[in-house]
Amino acid sequence: MSHVLEIRQLTKKFGDFVAVDNMSLNVREGEIFGFLGANGAGKSTTINMIASLLRVTKGEINLLGKNIEKHSKFAKMNIGIVPQDIAIYEDMTAYENVRFFAGLYGLRGSLLRERTEEALEFVGLGDKSKSYPKNFSGGMKRRLNIACAIAHRPKLIIMDEPTVGIDPHSRNYILNSVRKLNDMGCTIIYTSHYMEEVEEICTRIAIVDHGKVIAEGSKEQLKAIITDTKEIWIGIRTDEPLNLQALKAIAGVTAVLQEENTIKIVSKAEINNLNRIIQQLIKDQVEIRSVEEQAPNLETVFLTLTGRNLRD
Amino acid sequence: MEIWTMANKAAVLGFIIVTSFLAHPTSEIDPWQMLVYLLYLAINLTILTVKQMNQKQLFMGLSIGFVVASTLVLDPLFVLLLPVHILELAFLAGKQRVVVFVCMLLPLFIVLPEWMPLYLLTAFLSFLLYRCGSMLTDKLGRVEAEREKMREDLQSLTRSLNESSEYFRQSTYTIQLEERNRLSQQIHDDVGHAVAGALIQMEASRLLMATDQDKASELLRNAIAISKEGLERIRVTLKDVKPRPEELGINRLRLFVDELSVRETVTATLTFEGDIDVITPIQWKIIQQNATEAVTNALKYAKATVISLEVRVLNTFIKAVVTDNGGGADKVVKGLGILGMEERAASAGGTVIVDGTRGFSVTTLLPYRNE
Repeated sequence: MSHVLEIRQLTKKFGDFVAVDNMSLNVREGEIFGFLGANGAGKSTTINMIASLLRVTKGEINLLGKNIEKHSKFAKMNIGIVPQDIAIYEDMTAYENVRFFAGLYGLRGSLLRERTEEALEFVGLGDKSKSYPKNFSGGMKRRLNIACAIAHRPKLIIMDEPTVGIDPHSRNYILNSVRKLNDMGCTIIYTSHYMEEVEEICTRIAIVDHGKVIAEGSKEQLKAIITDTKEIWIGIRTDEPLNLQALKAIAGVTAVLQEENTIKIVSKAEINNLNRIIQQLIKDQVEIRSVEEQAPNLETVFLTLTGRNLRD
Repeated sequence: MEIWTMANKAAVLGFIIVTSFLAHPTSEIDPWQMLVYLLYLAINLTILTVKQMNQKQLFMGLSIGFVVASTLVLDPLFVLLLPVHILELAFLAGKQRVVVFVCMLLPLFIVLPEWMPLYLLTAFLSFLLYRCGSMLTDKLGRVEAEREKMREDLQSLTRSLNESSEYFRQSTYTIQLEERNRLSQQIHDDVGHAVAGALIQMEASRLLMATDQDKASELLRNAIAISKEGLERIRVTLKDVKPRPEELGINRLRLFVDELSVRETVTATLTFEGDIDVITPIQWKIIQQNATEAVTNALKYAKATVISLEVRVLNTFIKAVVTDNGGGADKVVKGLGILGMEERAASAGGTVIVDGTRGFSVTTLLPYRNE
C-alpha cells in the first residue's frame, strides 16, 4: 500500500517549547487517519506544518513522495484543509465562498462552476448557495467550510476538529460526508479530542501526547495495548444455576461464570463471537434481558498510557 | 580587545590627519607633523608587540604623555586620541565603568572650547566601543572557560567510564569464578557422593548376584534409592542456581525506593501491577535508570513531599511512571536529563512522556511482545 503522507522526525519548536517532538508516521492511501490527543498535544501544529502554514523546525514531510517544501504548489493542489477555526467570508454568498477558494487553486470557467456546485451539493448546501453565511448555524458554516476545502478535489483532506461546537445533526452529516469522501477515494486525516468520533470513523489512529506519537494502530490494536480480552455480561431472567458448558466451546471464550441472573463471559477481544453466544443461549432456551460488552475504549487507552483524561 | 582598541586609535588618527590636511590643503606637509604621526604609530604598535604587563603599561603611559605633548605643542586635535588611551589603561586595570567614564571627561579642562563637542563625541563613541568590546570579551571568556570545563568533565567521565568498564569486566570474571567454584563444590558434595555410594552398592550386588540373590537385590534397591536421592539433589541445586528474573528488577527498584525514603525528606512509594515477569533485564535497566533520573530531578527542582513510582505491565506495553506532588511546570523545557531518558527508551522502541500539569510526571512506555 502506498503512502500518501510520510512524516519523518518532524519537530517544531516555539522558543524553548517543543510543540511537536520528533514525530514520524505514515498515512496510507485510502485511510481515515485519526489524530487523537488532548488539547495542546500538538495536533494542530502538526497539521499546520503539513498544510505549509507553519515552518518545520526539523524533519521532513512528503506528500505522494514529494517534499512539501520543495514542491509547495504540488502540495497545495493536493491538500484540502478544513481548519479548526471556520474560515469563510460572511459577506459573500455560500456559492461565492466556494468559488473563491476553488479559484485560488487555479480552477477556471465552466470547470470552476461545476466543481463549486458539486461541492455545495455534497455538503447539503445546494439549496442555500445564494444565502449569506452570517445567517447560517454553526454546523452549516462548518459544512460550507468543508465545501471550500474539497472543491478542487484534493487527494488528502485534513480536518482539524471539524465537529467542535456544532449540533448533533450537522455532526452526523459531517461524519457521513467524511465516510463518503473516503469512499470516493480521498485519504483523510481527522483530528479530534472526541474519542467516540475517532473510534467510529477512523481506520487507523495515532495517539498524540506532548508532541509525540505514543501509540499507533487500528482501534483494536490500540485497545489491545491494555488487554486482549473483553467481558460480555448477559442479563437473564432466572437466577437458577444453568449448564453453560456449551458456551465454553465457542471460539474465543476463555471463561464463563454465572452470578445470580448475570452470565459473565470472558473472551478474546479480537474475535467477534457475540452472535454465536446469543444463538447458543437461545438454543438452550435461556431468556435474555440485556447484553453488555465491557471492553476498553480509546479513552481508557489514553488514560492508561498517559495518566490523564483526553479532555483535561 | 587589543585589536578593537587599535582599530579605534587608527580611526581617530585617520580623522585627525584628514582634518588637519583639509584645514591647510595648499601648504606643504609639515615634516614634524609627519614624524609625530609615525612616532605615535610606532609607540602604539609596540604596545601590541610587548608581552609583559608592566612593559605594556609603561608604553601606554608613554603614549598618553606623547599625545598630551603633541596636543600642547603641535596640534590641539591630538586630544581626541586621549579617551581611547584612557580606556585602554582602564581596561587593563579592570576599573568600574563610571570611574572610567569620569576619567575620560577629565581632559575636557585642557581642551579648547571649539573642540569640545568633537572631543565629547569621540569620547562617547570610544566608550561605546569599549563597552561592546568588553562585553563580548567577557562573554568569550565565559564560553571559553565553560568549554574548558566541559572538556575536563568529558575527560574525567571518559576515564571513569574506562575504569568502571574495566572494573565491570573484572568483577564479572570474579563472579563467574566464584560461581563455578561453588557449583563444582556443590556437585562434588551432593551428587558425587551419591553416585559413588550407588556405584559401590551396585558393584557389590554384581559380585553377590550368583551366590546370594536376596542380598544382591537388597544392595541394588539401596543403589536405586541413593541414585534417586542424588537426582533430586541435582534438581534442587539447579533450581537454586537459576535466579528468578523478577528478583533482580522489582527488588532493586524497591531497595531504591526504601533508600530514598530514608535518605531524603520525601515519602516514596512503589506500586506494581500486572505480570512483571515479562519485563526483560534490559527493560528493567531502562526503567531503573529513568526512575533514578526522574527522582533526581524531582528532588532537585520540584520541592515535592511525595514521590511515587509505578510499574504496570499492560497487554503490549510496559509503563513505568515517576510522579511527584511538587509544583510541576507549565512549560516543560527539555534538558539533557529528559533527552537521556528519551534516548534510553528509544533504544528499546519506547517513548517518554513528560508532563508538568499536575505535579511532575515522567512516564516511560516500552512495548513488548505478548506471546
